Amino acid sequence: MTAPPRPQRRKLGSDARAAYVFLAPALIGFTVFVVYPLIRSAYFALTQYNGLSVPKFVGFDNFRRMFTTDPSFWPSVRATLLLVVLYVPLSLAIGLALAVFCNQRMRGVSLLRTLCYLPVVLPVVATITLWKFVFNPQVGLANQVLTWLHLPTSEWLSGSDSAMPSIVIVMLWSVGSTMIIFLAALQAVPTELYEAARLDGAGPRTVFFRITLPLISPIMVLQVVLQMVTALQAFNQPKILSPDGMGGPGFSTRVLMLSIYTNGFPSLGRVAQLGYASAQVWVLFLVIVVLIAATARFSSIWTYSDHVS
Amino acid sequence: MKRTLHAAGALLAAGGLLATSACGGSSGQESDGKTTVTVMTWESNATNKLIDQALAGFQDPDITVKRIDTPNGNYSDKLSALTQAKKLPDLFWCGNDTEQQYTGQGLLTDWSSKLSGSGDFGTGSFDSTAMKNWKTADGRIGGVPSLMNTYGVWYDIDAFKAAGIPVPAAGWTWDQMYEAAAKLHAKGAKYGLVADAMTALDAPFSLSLYSQSAGGAPFTDDVHHPTKVTVDATFTEGVSKLVAGIKSGAVAPPGYDISNQQSLFSAGEIPMLWSGQWLAAGFLTDKPKIKYGFAPLPQADEPATLYDAVGICTPSYTKNADATFKVLKYLDSTVWTKVLPDSPVAVPAYTGAQDSYFNALDKAGQTTVASTVRTDLKASSTIGVRFTTQWASQAGDLITAYWPDILQGKKPLSDLQTMADKINEVIKSNS
Repeated sequence: MTAPPRPQRRKLGSDARAAYVFLAPALIGFTVFVVYPLIRSAYFALTQYNGLSVPKFVGFDNFRRMFTTDPSFWPSVRATLLLVVLYVPLSLAIGLALAVFCNQRMRGVSLLRTLCYLPVVLPVVATITLWKFVFNPQVGLANQVLTWLHLPTSEWLSGSDSAMPSIVIVMLWSVGSTMIIFLAALQAVPTELYEAARLDGAGPRTVFFRITLPLISPIMVLQVVLQMVTALQAFNQPKILSPDGMGGPGFSTRVLMLSIYTNGFPSLGRVAQLGYASAQVWVLFLVIVVLIAATARFSSIWTYSDHVS
Repeated sequence: MKRTLHAAGALLAAGGLLATSACGGSSGQESDGKTTVTVMTWESNATNKLIDQALAGFQDPDITVKRIDTPNGNYSDKLSALTQAKKLPDLFWCGNDTEQQYTGQGLLTDWSSKLSGSGDFGTGSFDSTAMKNWKTADGRIGGVPSLMNTYGVWYDIDAFKAAGIPVPAAGWTWDQMYEAAAKLHAKGAKYGLVADAMTALDAPFSLSLYSQSAGGAPFTDDVHHPTKVTVDATFTEGVSKLVAGIKSGAVAPPGYDISNQQSLFSAGEIPMLWSGQWLAAGFLTDKPKIKYGFAPLPQADEPATLYDAVGICTPSYTKNADATFKVLKYLDSTVWTKVLPDSPVAVPAYTGAQDSYFNALDKAGQTTVASTVRTDLKASSTIGVRFTTQWASQAGDLITAYWPDILQGKKPLSDLQTMADKINEVIKSNS
């Protein structure tokens, strides 16, 4: 039995030091821009603070106000959940359908994939602003098309019932990123399974539900989590598209992220409520954690696994 | 060792990059001994160009004036960020509410002593209503009012003729307005009247004109220091008429997209539009296809109107208050006389500059605009357009929770009282 060679230990130590040095900028950035704001926001959540005066400790008053007296909080929760319920299944269904379509062997499929992904690389704010023109109830393209087709027109973003579905449509415009991940998953399914299924006389429907879907189910779980986080953190679309920029009409599109922004950075003349907004941030954070944990916990029920326990 | 030194150098460089992210702010003394005074406006590019030309005429060997370019669309975000970073420019465009709130927190320079004299730029040189509303309860003046917004109803003369209705004029009533809206709607207009001011966040203040004009109580006793809000029988009556108008399709409902209402009015798509006098400046450059006029807001019995002056504020940490005040005086008294002839956006609060505005309107043939603005300035019964208090956004959320649903018949009119009670609770808990 011999001791490890000393020169190698010295070399490892030197490498470790170099690694720490190179990691230092990222660690400093993480500490300054993530850890420190996290700690500060936890502190502000327990204070009355407008960003200008000295924070005044108020305990859990901000949370009490949020759950009991703030008329906008529960409508914000409702709007956020409605967005999740509408957006997540639709984005998965459309993303998967596009992926399956783009996974065919046919001419021009590369162009098709590019076209599907194109909205993702376009500047988000510019795209959303264009949609605002499309949805303009008086002069917008959407109502003009409906008129040409002799269909009833809609108030789109101006109607309290149609505003959130309109925002979901705009968010679905970027479904190309979901499609790309599904496409990669589809291409990883072993082709011999398909060949074996065909030899056994399975039709396309059976092949899809018995082979494709089970084998890409782990990716489906990932997509559910990703799309859920996207929906829970939606901000650009409701901010830019709502007629008043505050999640209107009424509270119909004031999702939690927009509510946080509206309280933290209010419109001209209003004073910021950074303490209250920080409390809302922590509530949103907890909602995201709980939903993702629940998704991960129950994913084994519908995720295919070839391991035998 | 050499490698460690390199890494340390890289870290210092990264730290330096992080530390140099600040921008903007008041300038103070330059190396050549001159004082630079920075100015930030929310005006359009065209008006800013006129302001720059006018500022070029400011002659002081010791002072340089520098305007900071900022997008007018994101002005409130920019202002919030600069305020929290304590980097506000020496002079910045601000609303009455911003001035009241910031002054209350000691963030603005108090000009009351400089304005107290009887010279050509004292409190007496300004419109009395505007100056009164810019004073805080303890007599501080954290900014100087610059322009006064007045409100009225823009109308399409030909649409009124086609519907056989006389055009609106001073003294017309709320009932006449709703009747006209109904006839214009029946004649083919999607909505006879578009009035975001009566359906959006600050709507109860607009509807307060009905109750005030009919001898009832205003919605609130004071927008700066309210002790209560009141929803009496006359206020409820005014709202019920609006609800009926929305139900019949004569009036645009809450949520109506106002982003292109000016161009729709210009194109003859909106026959009656409740808005401000500032549209007149745009109509001079982008001429409407229609013949139009501008009438004072309707009344029940006595005339009543909204007051809303914007102004110019200075942070308390300005480095040279005397130089800043000189530029402020020039902006308020001289710049408008040079800018308004080409862009008559609003009447100056500084009375000595008001002729330039009215002359520009007369010259452009906008006689109804001039007469309506004059009428509004003389109105004895007025109310502010919104709360200016620290808790204004809490009250705003309560209004959003009740007002649109009441107007659309989803909640009963009796909920107006519930809304008022809840706002009164907010007032009580913050007083």
